[in-house]
Amino acid sequence: MTAERAISQAIEAQIRQQQEHDEAGNSKFGFIVFLLSESVIFLSFFAGYIAYKTTVADWYPPGVTGLETKEPLINTIVLISSSFVIYVAERYLHDQKLWGFRIFLLATMAMGSYFLFGQAVEWSSLPFSYTSGTFGGTFFLLTGFHGLHVLSGILLQAFMLGRSFVPGNYENGFFGVEATSLFWHFVDVIWIILYGLIYVWQ
Amino acid sequence: MMKLRAILTMSVYAILVTFASFWMAKQSYSWFPPEASAEGKLLDDLFSLFTGLGTFIYLGVIGPFLYSLIFHRASKYDLSDAPPIEGNTWLEIIWTAIPLALVLTLAFVSYRTYEKMSIRGPMELVHLHLPQVVESAYAEPFDSTPQQEIQNAAQSASVEQIDVTARQWAWVFHYPEQDVTSTELHLPVDRRIRFTLRSEDVLHGFYIPAFRLDQYLVPNQEIDFELTPVKTGTYRLRDSMYSGTYFAANQTDVVVQTPDEYQRWLADAATQTPSPAFNQAAYEYGQTSEPGAGSTKDKVAVRGWATIPPAPPPVVNYAPKHEPVSPPA
Amino acid sequence: MTNISLEPIDIVRGQPYPGAPDNWKRFFTFSTDHKVIGIQYIVTSFFFFLVGGLFAMIMRGELITPEADLIDRTVYNALFTMHGSVMLFFWTFPVLVGLGNYLVPLMIGARDMAFPRLNAVSFWMIPVAGVLMMTSFLVPGGPSQSGWWAYPPVSLQNPTGNLINGQVLWILAVAISGVSSIMGAVNFVTTIFRMRTPGMTWFKTPAFVWAVLGAQLIQLYGLPALTGGAIMLLLDLTIGTSFFAPERGGNPILYQHFFWFYSHPAVYVMVLPAFGIFSEVLPVHARKPLFGYRVIAASSILITIISGTVWVHHMYASATPPWMRMFFMVTTMLVAVPSGIKVFGWVATVWGGKIRFTTPMLFALGGISNWLFAGITGIFLGSVPIDLHVHNTYFVVGHFHYVLYGAIVMGIYAAIYHWFPKMTGRMYYEGLGKLHFVLTYVGTALIFLPMHPLGLMGMPRRVASYDPEFAYWNVVASIGGFLLGLSTLPFILNMVSAWIRGEKVGNNPWRAYGLEWLTSSPPSVENYEQLPLVISGPYGYGKNQPLVSNIPNPGLTEFPESLPKSLMQETTS
Repeated sequence: MTAERAISQAIEAQIRQQQEHDEAGNSKFGFIVFLLSESVIFLSFFAGYIAYKTTVADWYPPGVTGLETKEPLINTIVLISSSFVIYVAERYLHDQKLWGFRIFLLATMAMGSYFLFGQAVEWSSLPFSYTSGTFGGTFFLLTGFHGLHVLSGILLQAFMLGRSFVPGNYENGFFGVEATSLFWHFVDVIWIILYGLIYVWQ
Repeated sequence: MMKLRAILTMSVYAILVTFASFWMAKQSYSWFPPEASAEGKLLDDLFSLFTGLGTFIYLGVIGPFLYSLIFHRASKYDLSDAPPIEGNTWLEIIWTAIPLALVLTLAFVSYRTYEKMSIRGPMELVHLHLPQVVESAYAEPFDSTPQQEIQNAAQSASVEQIDVTARQWAWVFHYPEQDVTSTELHLPVDRRIRFTLRSEDVLHGFYIPAFRLDQYLVPNQEIDFELTPVKTGTYRLRDSMYSGTYFAANQTDVVVQTPDEYQRWLADAATQTPSPAFNQAAYEYGQTSEPGAGSTKDKVAVRGWATIPPAPPPVVNYAPKHEPVSPPA
Repeated sequence: MTNISLEPIDIVRGQPYPGAPDNWKRFFTFSTDHKVIGIQYIVTSFFFFLVGGLFAMIMRGELITPEADLIDRTVYNALFTMHGSVMLFFWTFPVLVGLGNYLVPLMIGARDMAFPRLNAVSFWMIPVAGVLMMTSFLVPGGPSQSGWWAYPPVSLQNPTGNLINGQVLWILAVAISGVSSIMGAVNFVTTIFRMRTPGMTWFKTPAFVWAVLGAQLIQLYGLPALTGGAIMLLLDLTIGTSFFAPERGGNPILYQHFFWFYSHPAVYVMVLPAFGIFSEVLPVHARKPLFGYRVIAASSILITIISGTVWVHHMYASATPPWMRMFFMVTTMLVAVPSGIKVFGWVATVWGGKIRFTTPMLFALGGISNWLFAGITGIFLGSVPIDLHVHNTYFVVGHFHYVLYGAIVMGIYAAIYHWFPKMTGRMYYEGLGKLHFVLTYVGTALIFLPMHPLGLMGMPRRVASYDPEFAYWNVVASIGGFLLGLSTLPFILNMVSAWIRGEKVGNNPWRAYGLEWLTSSPPSVENYEQLPLVISGPYGYGKNQPLVSNIPNPGLTEFPESLPKSLMQETTS
């Protein structure tokens, strides 16, 4: 009896250890599931954009012939590059080099902020508004909703940066940073599709 | 011996179910309002087929189910388990394959019926961009092979064009050839009718149960819709797509007449000067928004909330004489 | 042997710390225990069920006569909008999430959900959103009057002109419940994928867990589309964009695509767990393994996939081009195949079994018979020509209430009765339960069956007044409606009194086969003293195989001392 009990307790302990070790894995799995689900919102907006663009007779509001592509392209390059920068930051953290992590994370935040600033400049100089037909509506909806995600990404990064100053915070794994980084890549991929739909396909 | 009895019972049940299914299929025709259009006849036949098959499936499943519930019950102190039968591959394949074949057949039969109706309906989305494609589509009398009765109707005389406008909450029918407007829909029997459906505000549904057809009216979009009345009489046109406060009152009569009567009615209506027609929604709105003696505002148990005001009553050549129906509340 | 596993659990139960299973106050706290959250979900949503039912009975009162004479038309329109919204967003979705919450971790041998705090947050959003929706009765202009579809342009018409109006509150409440559902879905999917106990391979996982997985996957891919549409609708309504507003060049039909892309699969979000419940309840009370378990389990996932491709069948009349009508007719009809597999499997399960008509069994059987009927009328509706006649009539109302009340609500009742002894450690009262079943079944048939002939005759749905020719069936339906209202009384009485002073029964009063029955009733906070190691598949009735290797399985074929009296009274001769 006691032997049986000892065996079952040993198994139990093993399972427990395995599950506790796996908690970060659970979080990562859950976060990826969430991002996949989140991407469907963007997909539905993209689908809406395509449906409007192919069916509405007067797509551009009067006086508008198309969108300026040069500055958004610079913006795009900055945002996409930041994906690589945050990857470097993550590698530094992986190697327990906190200062490298902080510097590159800060660089990512700066690039993200530059993107948002560029967006704001573009918005303020546009000759149409969100009430200018379905074109104006979808343009501001897509860029605005994406911009909100960029902003949340930067806030998350700021939070992760702050936590790096808590002693020993990232010694037992850094799921938060991985999630932030994943989120940032996600935001970038969405932007590439968005850029293709709005700026390239005119 | 047991096996023989089981087979016998099953055969007898199968025969009974088959008879019941045929009976239900026949019966199904009586569940509908009068069959007043050629398209409706097609639908009723299709529905009868579905009813027959549906009854067969329902009884075929519920019979063994009930049999089992009655005869396979545990006795009071029997706590043993039943034989551990976990599945049967062949049975499972059969009851996947048969329903699959059945629904594909039903889809095909429905498709054939739909083709025979040739109600046309809205064109492809891309046609909005390419008006010439729409025109070429109309060069052909039909975009599919319709049922004989419909073909005859279309060939015996030119297609009758009627413009339908829906608004909150009234129907207006415009006969472009005579430039007659009416709040009651008059149609010639045994003629192909082409409606052009327009909505001025929200979605409405052009639904005449006796014709078994329904099509939404979408603002900013013209939708063509064809059908063939085959039986004279008075039917009901109901707004089927919820359209706001007085949605339930947005109904009117459909009068199918012989071509002669129809022409006489048109000629007569053309001589009338347009005047505002009675409108149930406007009437009720007027009653509830004007407090005072005789106003229903004091009688209603629960007072209502604010509503979109109804459009002013339509000004038409012809409107049926209507008593206000039902105390508005 | 037995003492080894039971002793420590009893020690856990004896401790009166705040999370202890017999402390009722924990139901009013921000508990992270999935069992507490499950019961919180079930009780909260049942409250909303009563509210939605009250709305329905007022509507049935109005419809008992052809004229619009009991309530103003605007009130009627608000009531059918609120009835649909409350019943779906605050009763059916959350109650099934609650059942899943309670049962899934127990069934897969996990200690809790993957993200317990997220779970608690998901739950507390439901009462917040529900109350928010109720407050729309107090704002000027009243609640939303555009139906639970909130189709524009009607939903964009704002008679009061206020920024805070019923429609805006409706969108916000639905959005909050949507966020709650997404968080719940992430939680469920992670839990089911990663927290199954050692030895529980996919085909050793109970059918209910499969069904919940299928349902939650639909939430993940479908709900964001509705969220997208709702955001656009809200922008149209508040800041004057023109996505769906035709007078500003928008396209109201596009909203319908967004809406139905989620809201048709949403029916499967609700019906799949009900299927799972049938699959769990039948084998226990028929003492026979689930027939074709693997196919039934896999067909849930098949339904998940196909249901994402059928949404346009709600829009046959919405100016959709013919090719769309035909394509979606075929996909719609295909859903009948996996649904049919399940029904045949259930019939084969009870066939030759040792059936006991306990209350959960009665509800499960009743639910299956109703589902069979609803499934067949569903094939009718999938056919384009038939649908063109009946799609916005009472035929559809009858059809989906047969699904939602006839099958899903019956399944929910079956689940509550079946797992009541597990949740409380006490047995419900069998007599009251049977009375509840009879009232529910008869009421369902009386109210929803007459809606089919009404629809065929051409009575549109959502009307406050109707032509006198429809009066007969409407009176019958109204009587059925009041009967359904009455049917909740024995249920409430049963639940409350049984929870307080019902007969105490052991851990496994049904002698059921399944992980949840191996632990104490109610289960301790950690669910299991030791995690079970699963060695055989579910539903091993008649096989005399142990389910797990490290916890003694109570003798399933022996005559247990804890067998409830009520079960003993259950006789056939």
